[in-house]
Amino acid sequence: MRRGTITVAGVGKDFGATTVLSDVDLVIEGGSFVTLLGPSGCGKTTLLRLIAGFLEASRGTIAIDGVPMQGVTPRRRPIGMVFQNLALFPHLDVFENVAYGLKIRGTPAAEITAKVARFLGLVGLAGFERRRIGQLSGGQKQRVALARSLALEPAILLLDEPLSALDLQLRRQLQVELKAIQRQLATTFVFVTHDQEEATLLSDTIVVMEGGRVRQVGSPGEIYRRPASPFVARFVGDINMLEGRIATVNGTSISVDLGQHRFDLPPSAIVGRPAAGAACQIACRPEAVTLAGDSANALALDGRIDALHRLGPTVKAMLDTPLGPLTALMMAGAPQAAELAEGKTVRVAVPSDTLTVFVST
Amino acid sequence: MRGATATPRGLGWLLLPAVLVLALFLGAVALLFLHAFWTKDGFSLAYFKQILDRADYHEVFLRTVSIAAIVSIASALLAYPIAWLLWRLPKWRNLLLVVVLVPWLVSLVVRTYGWLVILGPKGFLNETLRWAGVIESPLPLIFNDLGVVIGLTHVLMPFSVIATLSVLLQIDNRLEEASESLGAGALETWRRVVLPLSLPGVFTGISITFLTSMGAIVTPILLGGIRQKMAGTQIYQEVVYNFNMSKASAWALCLLILSALGLVLLRTVEAALVPKADK
Repeated sequence: MRRGTITVAGVGKDFGATTVLSDVDLVIEGGSFVTLLGPSGCGKTTLLRLIAGFLEASRGTIAIDGVPMQGVTPRRRPIGMVFQNLALFPHLDVFENVAYGLKIRGTPAAEITAKVARFLGLVGLAGFERRRIGQLSGGQKQRVALARSLALEPAILLLDEPLSALDLQLRRQLQVELKAIQRQLATTFVFVTHDQEEATLLSDTIVVMEGGRVRQVGSPGEIYRRPASPFVARFVGDINMLEGRIATVNGTSISVDLGQHRFDLPPSAIVGRPAAGAACQIACRPEAVTLAGDSANALALDGRIDALHRLGPTVKAMLDTPLGPLTALMMAGAPQAAELAEGKTVRVAVPSDTLTVFVST
Repeated sequence: MRGATATPRGLGWLLLPAVLVLALFLGAVALLFLHAFWTKDGFSLAYFKQILDRADYHEVFLRTVSIAAIVSIASALLAYPIAWLLWRLPKWRNLLLVVVLVPWLVSLVVRTYGWLVILGPKGFLNETLRWAGVIESPLPLIFNDLGVVIGLTHVLMPFSVIATLSVLLQIDNRLEEASESLGAGALETWRRVVLPLSLPGVFTGISITFLTSMGAIVTPILLGGIRQKMAGTQIYQEVVYNFNMSKASAWALCLLILSALGLVLLRTVEAALVPKADK
């Protein structure tokens, strides 16, 4: 087991009569970059604070590198934390902020100076030692907070939506740097966010949470291609959701009715237990929908272009079809993209091998 | 954006009370100067010269400043743990705040007489100690400078509590968590984070209690020694018994100058002690 592995087993948390977290089972691999992704109120910050030790679990256990953390105070855990509002010490300068933990630990002065210089260099703030916190920009404060928590070289770094206050451009830049720093140090990063793009960009593993539960754990690719529930499908990336019905079920193939269409899918494309006659939701990513005419293994239908968004490298077409509204996404350079126009009727193809069917329960 | 910040028409009269208060204040200060320098013999510095010459008057000013300094520091030291407790116990905060402020519901004179009952030669404290065999003759707890210090500290400490608490309440509790996650224990977090960030409130409290003590009248009259005057009681005596407005004004101006000097000194100490916290 690599240093910095977190094992969460059967963890739940109640605040009074309200349950904010239930039955969380999760193994966070040492040295990986993991994001806890979910809408606000899904319990992701609560889970982070349980790992940090600022909250005590109502049920279940959390272990770090095999050591149970019950009753271990935050200061005794091998954990660093970057807070949402950063929580930099306003009465101390940049050097003193980064040196804070080292001084508490009684590190010799020469070593403190060297380490502060090293970590300020790592976050690109060499030479900022004597700046006051109030003189720094939002991005610089971010870097100081990161350097401060990394200076103690913790096995695990917890980050609670630290980038949410920054503008998009700076955010993208810091995301790239954060990822590079994580790779360089091989520290376990657990990052809380509600931004699925951020999660996709940063993570080795995404933990999708909703309503106090973990809904899916997987790599960004797995979660995008094979979402475990309609919620995950909608939350991670754009998706078309169509209402259909299971027609027949046999061992090797399941046929699904969608409007006038009937098509067969392998059991691997079905989420839930299919039963003949059961209602289902059929999910299809916009980039799988093509407007290049009929093709094999695809539902073919006519669609009217309601709206057309040309987004630079891509073109997004909002279609009105007999099955309901559909969104199609294609590269701006694709041959058919130039001919599209609002109000025009086109031939829409939905390849059946890209569909995921969620059986309603 | 015409009119966005302008006073709405016809509401200018709302400024009237403020103007009146300011006019009365400035008028009073002007009168003070006038009386101090314009005695019944015409323009004169006689009373200032008297203050500079007479050793017993030096003693009064020295006592005033010393008592004010001791009271303000004692208030700050006693108030800090109370303010800290109020800050730490949000559920109890309002109730405890009432307990801190409840003495203010009783008039100053009554409260001060209360100390006579407790500290007097035949008061509760002395009688208890004598009964317990700790002392033979009563301790001189009252009708001296100690009595004044005790009385003023009791009256003024709530100001220090409120000044300190208001600054503590502005401290982001994530700062303490950050300190904890960086390995600091509770005491170390207090010393390195909470104390430096709360010092401005402590100094505000010291300023308020120092200035109020400098001008104290009732408490020194009731709890102080007959011959151990403070500047305030001396001024009171000149105005009420001797009708010497010029002498009283000269004293008041000297007291004002000493208070201002004290405040400047306090600011200097604060600036040296408290690193500027950025928001």
